[in-house]
Amino acid sequence: MKKLVALSATLFSLVIFFPIFYSLSASFFTYTDFTSIPARLFSSAPTFENYRRAFTESKLERFLLNSLITASLGTIVRMTISVLAAYTFSFFSFKGRDVLFVLVVATMLLPSDALLIANYSTIRSLRLTDSYLGIIATSLLAPTHIFMLRQYFKTVSPEYREAAILEGCSDTRFLTTLLIPISKAVVITLAIHSFSTIFNDYLWPLLVTNREAMRTVQVALTMLGFSENLDYGPQFAAITLLMTPILIAFVVMHKPIQTSVSTRFTGR
Amino acid sequence: MKLYRTWKVKPYVLVLPALLLAVVFAYRPFVITILNSFHTVNLGGVRMQFVGVENYQRLFASESFQASLSNTLRFTLFFVPTNITICLSAALLSNREGKLATLNQIFFFLPMAVGLSSAMMIIKMMFNPSIGIINHLIGADIQWFNDPKAAMALLVIAGVYLDIGFNFLLLSAALRNVPKELVEVANLEGAGKMSIFRYLQLPLIAPTLVFVLMTNIKDAMLISSPVLILTEGGPFRSTQTLVYQMYLEGFKSGNYAMGSAIATVVFLLTFTILLSLLHLERRRVYYQ
Repeated sequence: MKKLVALSATLFSLVIFFPIFYSLSASFFTYTDFTSIPARLFSSAPTFENYRRAFTESKLERFLLNSLITASLGTIVRMTISVLAAYTFSFFSFKGRDVLFVLVVATMLLPSDALLIANYSTIRSLRLTDSYLGIIATSLLAPTHIFMLRQYFKTVSPEYREAAILEGCSDTRFLTTLLIPISKAVVITLAIHSFSTIFNDYLWPLLVTNREAMRTVQVALTMLGFSENLDYGPQFAAITLLMTPILIAFVVMHKPIQTSVSTRFTGR
Repeated sequence: MKLYRTWKVKPYVLVLPALLLAVVFAYRPFVITILNSFHTVNLGGVRMQFVGVENYQRLFASESFQASLSNTLRFTLFFVPTNITICLSAALLSNREGKLATLNQIFFFLPMAVGLSSAMMIIKMMFNPSIGIINHLIGADIQWFNDPKAAMALLVIAGVYLDIGFNFLLLSAALRNVPKELVEVANLEGAGKMSIFRYLQLPLIAPTLVFVLMTNIKDAMLISSPVLILTEGGPFRSTQTLVYQMYLEGFKSGNYAMGSAIATVVFLLTFTILLSLLHLERRRVYYQ
């Protein structure tokens, strides 16, 4: 029974892993490997030609740069806004605090996909199409982040802050030298989550960029033109190149990733 | 005096960016979308004339929208049970100790590391009817992009692939939190795997399962990017979903009013689902 479970789990997991494996393997295929019968799982003559072509026949490095800039910028601004809001909502008492908190967090209920048209008009009237700011604009507010950070900050007694302020400590110093360091785990998890969300976003960057030079890599990936010509090698190479760093990070960090999910969503 | 004033203004200043964003990119567009759906809107996005429910009448009478609505519901109906069964089996099967189990777990959540458009492009190429590997491997000649049934199945497969990583992590974390002693005692008492699952694990992971179910239904109702990359709604509109049609009306035909009417329908559908599921959760799901 035990062996049967292990065997079926392994077969099943191999099926799920297959697309990643195939992309990696096919990025080294020669042109004819794709049409050979029976179908190949490994290259007949492994070659880096596809990688070379992915770079020389498209502006891949430019697209990558766009994605890295928008994802980093977006993460920094988004985390700053979230931490400030969560900090204020948990440590200050002021008129209308709870109403304002609900107002911010309730935006979770508005699916961003259904807001696309109206948000696009806003970005266009602000003349932010084809700009990095336009690409990240709708990702800057993260109600779930504010909610989760506030839950966490609430576990810190407000007396800490009062004592610190009485001793002449500024809010900035309290935040940067005490609160953020003790909530490091949550802040880092949310920052990684933000980065990958913005980096992997597809529909919004597609809509707000018209100029090829402003495309993010996820958008560009669907327009490289290789796959339309059934020229799969360079397409798989571009995809593999893009996912490999993240795959490695996931494999290396599999323990913290699994535990962070269990503490975030199951209460403890 | 000065101290008192800074104390008063400061919290508002600190939450201002979040509030401003909430207004500019959530509440204002929400209101504008609803308003636009009751007006004619010109190509510049300016509301022209109030037309009452005319947009909705035209919408519900149009074949295209009926197709979108029924496709979206059909997709949700196929996708949600399939996805939950697959993700839950993955979590149950890999809920073991040892190196092989860890490897299984890594393989199950790794799709999370592949971005949406990468994943869709991989699937698009793997399922190409002529030179894709899938038809070669299964030795069939399935027209994944030309046969309406196969295209819908492809969309479900794509949806599962996009969701399995995160859902697996959630469900397997919930399973790991079921106290081991309980399972061992049940084992000693002679309970089978099925009854351990049914009477012990299932009730304990129910809150997580409801959360997964809720997000699955919401995601399924809103599916658009996979449609855009894989099938572009075809063949014969058989995979045209609500948000995809909204995208077509808003960005391809410049028909903002219709696009807004579809968006409003999407709002209503998601609200209804979220509220009824919250209600369900409050009534049926018990924490131990």
